[in-house]
Amino acid sequence: MKNWIRLFATTVLLAPLAAIASGKVVVYNWSEYIPEDTIERFTAETGIEVVYATYESNETMYSKLQLQKNAGYDVVVPSTYYVAKMAKEKMIQPLQKDLLPNLKHLDPALLDKEYDPKNSYSIPYFWGSTGLGVNASEMDIAAIHSWKQLWDPKYKGQLLLMDDVREVFHVALLLNGHSPNTKDPAQIKQAYELLKKLMPNVLVFNSDAPREPYMAGDVNFGMIWNGEVMMAQEEDDTIQYVYPDEGAIFWVDSFAIPAGAANVKEAHAFINFMMKPEIAKSCVEYVGYATPNKTAISMLDQELRDNPVIFPPADIIEKGEFQSDVGEAIEIYNRYWQQLKVGQ
Amino acid sequence: MTKNGLANVLSFRQLVITLTLGWLMLMVIAPHALVIMTSFMTPDSEHLAVWPLTLQGYQKVLQPIYFDVFFHSLWLSAIATVVCLIIGYPFAYILAKQPPWARAVMLVLMMVPFWTNSLIRTYAIKLILGKKGVINSVLVGTGIVDQPITMLYTEFAVIVGLVYVLLPFMVLPLMASFEKLSADLTEASKDLGANALQRFVHVVLPLTAPGIIAGCLIVFLPAMGMFYVADLLGGAKNLLLGNVIKNQFLVVRDWPFGSAFSITLIVMMAAMLWLYVIANRFVQRQGGLDDENL
Repeated sequence: MKNWIRLFATTVLLAPLAAIASGKVVVYNWSEYIPEDTIERFTAETGIEVVYATYESNETMYSKLQLQKNAGYDVVVPSTYYVAKMAKEKMIQPLQKDLLPNLKHLDPALLDKEYDPKNSYSIPYFWGSTGLGVNASEMDIAAIHSWKQLWDPKYKGQLLLMDDVREVFHVALLLNGHSPNTKDPAQIKQAYELLKKLMPNVLVFNSDAPREPYMAGDVNFGMIWNGEVMMAQEEDDTIQYVYPDEGAIFWVDSFAIPAGAANVKEAHAFINFMMKPEIAKSCVEYVGYATPNKTAISMLDQELRDNPVIFPPADIIEKGEFQSDVGEAIEIYNRYWQQLKVGQ
Repeated sequence: MTKNGLANVLSFRQLVITLTLGWLMLMVIAPHALVIMTSFMTPDSEHLAVWPLTLQGYQKVLQPIYFDVFFHSLWLSAIATVVCLIIGYPFAYILAKQPPWARAVMLVLMMVPFWTNSLIRTYAIKLILGKKGVINSVLVGTGIVDQPITMLYTEFAVIVGLVYVLLPFMVLPLMASFEKLSADLTEASKDLGANALQRFVHVVLPLTAPGIIAGCLIVFLPAMGMFYVADLLGGAKNLLLGNVIKNQFLVVRDWPFGSAFSITLIVMMAAMLWLYVIANRFVQRQGGLDDENL
C-alpha cells in the first residue's frame, strides 16, 4: 500500500516536470479533423505534450487569435484564403523549412500557390471540395449533375446549405458567370438576388457536421463536403457525392504558426510529424479528405486511392475554383447573408 | 451576547458584504462596463474596436433588417412563453396541492433532466422530431400519415426546444404563488355562491398573478437569447436575437454592434422588470387591506 502511494505521488509530482522538460505544443484545429490516436503517437515519439482545441469556422479561429494577440496557440489550420489574409496581417509567422524535412513527401502540384507563394507561411494538411450531396435511396442520383438543380421548386423546404457565406455565394456567382472571388458589389448583389430565390428550398444551414442531417434522413439533397460523405458512407453508403457540371468549390486547409506562438520549435516538430507518410495515410483513412502527401497516397489501398470522391480526376480539379480573400468586400457579402437568413 | 461576540458578528458581516460586493464588481459590473464601452466604439476589422466614440452601433440596431429579426424573435419567444404558461399553470397547481413528500418527489423528477447540459438535451430533441425520429416513426408506422412530417428545422421545433428548456422556470414561481394561495379564500367565495369559473377568474387568477408575471418574464427574456436552440432545431435560419449577437462577435466581427445589441436587450429586460414591479404593486394593493373593493 505504501509503495503504491509512493508510486502514485512520484508519478503525479514528476509528470508535470517531465512535460516541462520536453516541452508542449498547443494545437488549434477544425473539429473531427484528426485520427484519435495521432496525438498519442506524437507524444510517444517526441515526448512533447499536446494541448488540443477545436473550432468550427475560420472566423472563430481568426477572432480568437486576434483577441489573444496571436498568442495562446502554436499550430492553427486556416483554410486557403485565410492563410493569405492572416499572412498579410502578420498574424502568422514564416516557417523554418529546415525544421520540416518531411516536406519532400508533398505533391508539388499543391505547393507554391497564389494564396501563399513558396509556402512561406503554410503547409497544406488536407484539401477537399464542396459539391452536391445526394441520398441515392431517396433520389435518382443519375439525374443530379448541376448546382442549378438546387433551385428546382420541387425541393421546397428540403435542402441543406453550408452555414458559410463564401461557399453559398460561390455557387450563385458561378451560375451568374462571375468569379467566386469577386469584390464587385454589383456582382455580389446579383448573386444575392439569385440566392433569394433559393431560400424557400432551404431547410437547414449546417457547417458543423453536414453529414448528420443526411444520415438522420432529414435531408436528401443539398451541399456537402466530400470528406463528410466519406465519413457518412462508413455507416450509410446511400449517401453519395456529385461534382457539379459548373465546377466544385475547392479549398485547402493548411498548418500555420501564429506570430505570437510560445512553442515555435515544438510547433514545427508537430507539423513535420503530420507530414510523415504513415501519419498522413492514417489521417486520410480516418478523416476522408485528400492529402497532399504523395508518398502517403502511394501507400493507400487501391480502392481508396481510386475513389473519385476523395481524389477527383484532373478534369474536375481543372474545372473547380479555389477561394481567395475578398478583403473588405466580405462586409458586403455578410450584409446580404444576414438578409438572406432573415428572409429579406 | 458579549461585546466580543458582537464584534465577531460585525466583522463576519463585513467580510460577507465585502466578498459579495467584490464578486459583483469583478464578475458583473466590470464585464458590463466593458460591453457598454465597446458598444460606443468604432468597429475595426483588425483591432475589433477602436476610438473614437460613436453611436454607430446603436444606429445599426435600428436598421429595418434587425427590426424583422427582433419581431420574429419576440414572436417565437412569446409563443414559447404562452405554451410554458399553459402547461406550467395546471402543473404548478397540482404540485402545490400535493403533500410535501409527493411534491418533493415530483420536483426532483422535474429537475433531474436539467442536470444534463441543455445543449445535449437539445440534440436529443433532434432525434425525436426528425423525419426518422420517434414521432414520425409512430405516425408512419400506425398509418396516421403516409409521409413523415417535417418538424425539425422549423419554427415549431424552435418553440418545442424553448418550451422544453425553460418550463421549470415557469413552474417554480407559479408553485410559490399557489402555495401562498389560502384554501380559505376559495372556500369563502364558494360559500358566497361563486361558481368554479368565477372563483378562478376573481380569486385564483388575481392572487397568482405575481407568479404568472414572474414566470413569464424569466421564460420570455432568456428565450430570445438561446441561439443554440435556433441553430440546432431551427436550422440556423429562424434567428433569435442571440444569434444576431453571436454572429456579430464571431463571424462579422463587428464588436461594437454586437455590444450595442446586447445592451439594447439588457435595457429591454430592465424595462420589463420595472413593469413587473409596478404590476406586482398593483396586484398587492388590489388584494390587500387598502383595497377599496374589499
